[in-house]
Amino acid sequence: MNVQRVVAVAYKEWREIVRDRLFFSLAFVVPAVLMLLFGYGLSLDVENIPFAVVDYDHSAQSRDYAYRFIDSRYFDFKGYVRDERELGGLLAQSRVRAAIVIPEHFGQRLQAGRGAQVQTLVDGTFPFRALTTKGYVTAINASANQETIAQLLARAKGVPVQTAREAVQPVRLEVRYLYNQSVKSIWSLAPKLLMVILMISPPFLTALGVVREKESGSIFNIYSSTVTRGEFLCGKLAPYVAISALNILALWLLATLLFAVPFKGGFLFFMAASLIYVICTTGIGLMVSVLVRTQVAAMIVTAIVTVIPAVLYSGVLIPIPSLGPSAQAIAHLLPAMYYTNIVVGCFLKGVGLAALWPDVLILAAYAAVLFTVGFTMFHKRPVS
Amino acid sequence: MTRLDLQVWGRRLAVMTKKEFLQLMRDAVLLVFIVYAFTADIYLAASGVTLQLNHAATMVRDLDRSAASRELLGRFQPPYFRLDGELASDAEGLHRLDDGSAMLTLDIPPQFERDLATGRQTALQMQVDATNSVLGFLASSYAAQIVGGYGLEVGLKQLGVGGGNADALPVVDNRIRVWYNPNQNDAWFMGISELLNIITVFAILLPAAAMVREKERGTVEQLLVSPLTPFQIMFPKVISMTAVILLGTALSLFAVLLPGFGLPVKGSLPLFFALTGLYIFTTAGLGLFAATIARNLAQVGMLTILILAPMLFLSGAWTPPEAMPVWLRQLTFVSPLHYYIDIAFGILLKGQTAGELLPLIGGMLLLGGAVFGFGLYRFRRQFG
Repeated sequence: MNVQRVVAVAYKEWREIVRDRLFFSLAFVVPAVLMLLFGYGLSLDVENIPFAVVDYDHSAQSRDYAYRFIDSRYFDFKGYVRDERELGGLLAQSRVRAAIVIPEHFGQRLQAGRGAQVQTLVDGTFPFRALTTKGYVTAINASANQETIAQLLARAKGVPVQTAREAVQPVRLEVRYLYNQSVKSIWSLAPKLLMVILMISPPFLTALGVVREKESGSIFNIYSSTVTRGEFLCGKLAPYVAISALNILALWLLATLLFAVPFKGGFLFFMAASLIYVICTTGIGLMVSVLVRTQVAAMIVTAIVTVIPAVLYSGVLIPIPSLGPSAQAIAHLLPAMYYTNIVVGCFLKGVGLAALWPDVLILAAYAAVLFTVGFTMFHKRPVS
Repeated sequence: MTRLDLQVWGRRLAVMTKKEFLQLMRDAVLLVFIVYAFTADIYLAASGVTLQLNHAATMVRDLDRSAASRELLGRFQPPYFRLDGELASDAEGLHRLDDGSAMLTLDIPPQFERDLATGRQTALQMQVDATNSVLGFLASSYAAQIVGGYGLEVGLKQLGVGGGNADALPVVDNRIRVWYNPNQNDAWFMGISELLNIITVFAILLPAAAMVREKERGTVEQLLVSPLTPFQIMFPKVISMTAVILLGTALSLFAVLLPGFGLPVKGSLPLFFALTGLYIFTTAGLGLFAATIARNLAQVGMLTILILAPMLFLSGAWTPPEAMPVWLRQLTFVSPLHYYIDIAFGILLKGQTAGELLPLIGGMLLLGGAVFGFGLYRFRRQFG
């Protein structure tokens, strides 16, 4: 391999990128904008659930009970509704996502010392939100019941309410959230956004860059030149890897400075591992560009093989262990999951090469395979 | 305008549409990927991804080893939890959490049973890996239910209230009913939202790329010197791509989602297809708008990511719009997907009719008209 020729190809590519000002600026703007938008907007916290109450009872007890929900920061009270028919309409139009229906005689039954029933309706269109909503409802209901029983006990046995409370709740659950003490979603999200963005943008840049030569025909200059396959690919991809490397740094700065995500790991290790990942995703772009002939196809194929897997099979929204067997298999076949381990490890857990070497190794192997396949499939003598 | 004029106008539109179809059909790789995206990709997403806490790997450290501690730990059962054995030391627990082989650990303090018997409040310690904040929340919420229920049983038994029978107490039994997707079947949600994602990707990319390709190759000059109006150049691209995407949608509904996952179609399918067509048209307008800004395909590729990624992520399917900052929530109103997602889920799962969806349809029409008109205006200015 002749270094001079590699440099020449890389320099030519670099000039071409820089001269296309819109493209050049988008190469840096797109990742940063995505980071900002997602960082602010992609909150998985289920809060302010629009919610309504149907109260057929109109008693002090029913109002007290409803108030426990109205008061909660998880629910955004939209008002009392007359009956269930009206409620059905509101749920169908997504004006409310949850509602409680308090039947008649609710207060009477409670005052008589008997149990009472209440119905909660939850919009199940988005299952994961429905689950979380159910969790809130159960928790609020349980604490209401504990309070009732504790007060009952306090009166019956003549003990202070605090003592009675402890008696009905003999076991406390002390939860410690590791790695993300305040369960802030931006902390767990921002590092994974790095993974998503670096999964999407390098292949796009690369695939478009290579296929552009094919489609415009300028690749025939390469076919007829003394540049070998390896030299061409190295030189061609080098500027894209360089741009992506700068993007790693920019995204890292955004995460740590703007979103104030703690970075507990080693910076050098992180940069090195990220570079391997970027080379890997650039390799995906290379694979795509070898397979397709037109830039349209390059864009579509890249979008499908990167955007959707980066979101679904990487652990950013859904943790890998929660995936079904087939999806888990896909996740293990893609590089995103391994890099997720690395970013999460570097940012939140503060573990280094000692714990993450298998992931780094797999990424490196992945990159090697992609480049080898890309190399063997790229021909200087096109078949047709 | 005479009848003849109209005929010629229609003929020109038809010829241009045919040309677009031919161009698309000749890109074999692209076609294969379109079919793949509408079938296999949707199948994988619907079958493999679940958002529920599923067999969370739980390790326990039982320092009491009593009947009571075993009883409590025994309640951490599948499907939510899976007991993976005992820990020999705290350090091992931390290590297991670090390398991700355990998601949570439970610590039972010594003298747990004695404390319970003497009525002293005791604590169960739980450490949760909260790198995924949603899962961390679900795990602690389910654990709180288990511990709370257990504590109440023990407490009531000891106090001799109600004979341990909660029914004889004035407690509220909150029955939760989930509408539209009673079992929170993730396949329905994932299948539909993946379909919407794919439709969006194609609806933006295909027309945008088709438009810019003409610019890049210079064939647009030919079209401009022909008697075609800008509308007649732009519109056939949208018609042909809409037709292809609608075919793909039908394929994935009738070949994958309906037979494979028992998706119940509550509303009218013709209405669904009609509105899908309208949505594709609207979104294509966004793509064409991007195409008027870009000069080559590489630029349009980056611009479409900039439009596409926020649309997909912030559509409201993954992240509840209620949890977004206000400025971002307002921004989602200019995203056609924001309307379409409620329309699609509304027709397919909730069985809504055109009348109920009127505001959403209106919003989409308005947006589509505005964007398409603006794209046309820019195109005229550029070449007129």
